[in-house]
Amino acid sequence: MATLDELMRLPAAMAAFEFRGSGELLDQRIAYPERINETTLDLLAHMCAANMSIATMQARGWEKVTAMKGFYPIQEFTLVGFDWSVVVSGFRREQLKNEDKTSLPPLMGVVLGNEKADYEAAFAVLEGQEPIP
Amino acid sequence: MSMIRRILALDGVNVICHFRDDGYLLEGYGLMGRDDMVRLAQFAHDYRRMIQGNADQLAMFTGMRGWTPPHGWVVRGAVQSVCGVGNLVCIVEGADAPMNEILLELREISHW
Amino acid sequence: MSIVTDLLAKPGVVAAGEYAYRGDRFSYRGALTEEHARMASIMCRATTMGVNMEGKMLEVFQPRSGLQPPRGWVVHGADYTVCVMANVFCMLDNARASINDIVGFMRQTMANAPSDLI
Repeated sequence: MATLDELMRLPAAMAAFEFRGSGELLDQRIAYPERINETTLDLLAHMCAANMSIATMQARGWEKVTAMKGFYPIQEFTLVGFDWSVVVSGFRREQLKNEDKTSLPPLMGVVLGNEKADYEAAFAVLEGQEPIP
Repeated sequence: MSMIRRILALDGVNVICHFRDDGYLLEGYGLMGRDDMVRLAQFAHDYRRMIQGNADQLAMFTGMRGWTPPHGWVVRGAVQSVCGVGNLVCIVEGADAPMNEILLELREISHW
Repeated sequence: MSIVTDLLAKPGVVAAGEYAYRGDRFSYRGALTEEHARMASIMCRATTMGVNMEGKMLEVFQPRSGLQPPRGWVVHGADYTVCVMANVFCMLDNARASINDIVGFMRQTMANAPSDLI
């Protein structure tokens, strides 16, 4: 599973955070405290939890109606903001749910500067595919 | 006197705002400063559109009739609740506020 | 060439289209039925409305954060990804598409898209 420190090694990482499915911020790393703080991350985490839920509802409905599989469960939701992006993932959580584990890890997220953002690398780290060297 | 003020007479209603279709605050009354009323009106406008979008999707995916267009929404907290119907939004305090009456009144006034 | 045509020429793009913020029109090209494209445009519009509302709330909370105003969003599933910037949507096959290329291209092309109609 990705760690906050691994996420912080992504290009242009500004902050990394863990949060509950209901949105509460659990832990974080912040590279630029003057630009993003813990209170903002908490609101952002709640916002991302809401977006994950809505995207999950859409994926569920879409797959049922179109028979086009491959969206559900949502692996990551990314908000591309004006200068920054935030990528959040419940990938490991969903994997463990499938294994019938009752104790589930938190969701994870990373805030990236848009200019150097590498979304594919962020997805890979969040999915635990390849640790950043 | 504006008709929306009569909502304030209901138990628990602390704030009532009327906003334009673009979220601009037209009038607001109650225990809240003007700046916060402007924010509340904008929030209610945006939230209404989001609810509308979700209701449209629910109808689309399930084929069920009766969800759209949604008349309103209620976000209920431990102490405060926010209710929106049409272009009206109000803040209600207290768990024992007469929510049915408030919603009926909002619905009636929103048609005027 | 329109952005939709450009997108469709990129590897792994299954379908791409545009929707009106008012919700009354959409157009698309690619491997979707008309009805499914209509549904996709409804979903994309709803999420765009949602993230714009959230952006405004975030702005009240922390002014001048780099997230506001939102340019778009991406939903990444196991096999497919949906990328939306402004009022343009694009569905990708993960096995063949580069999400970085598509997001970069859409972000650049839609950089000056007006947001006042949202």
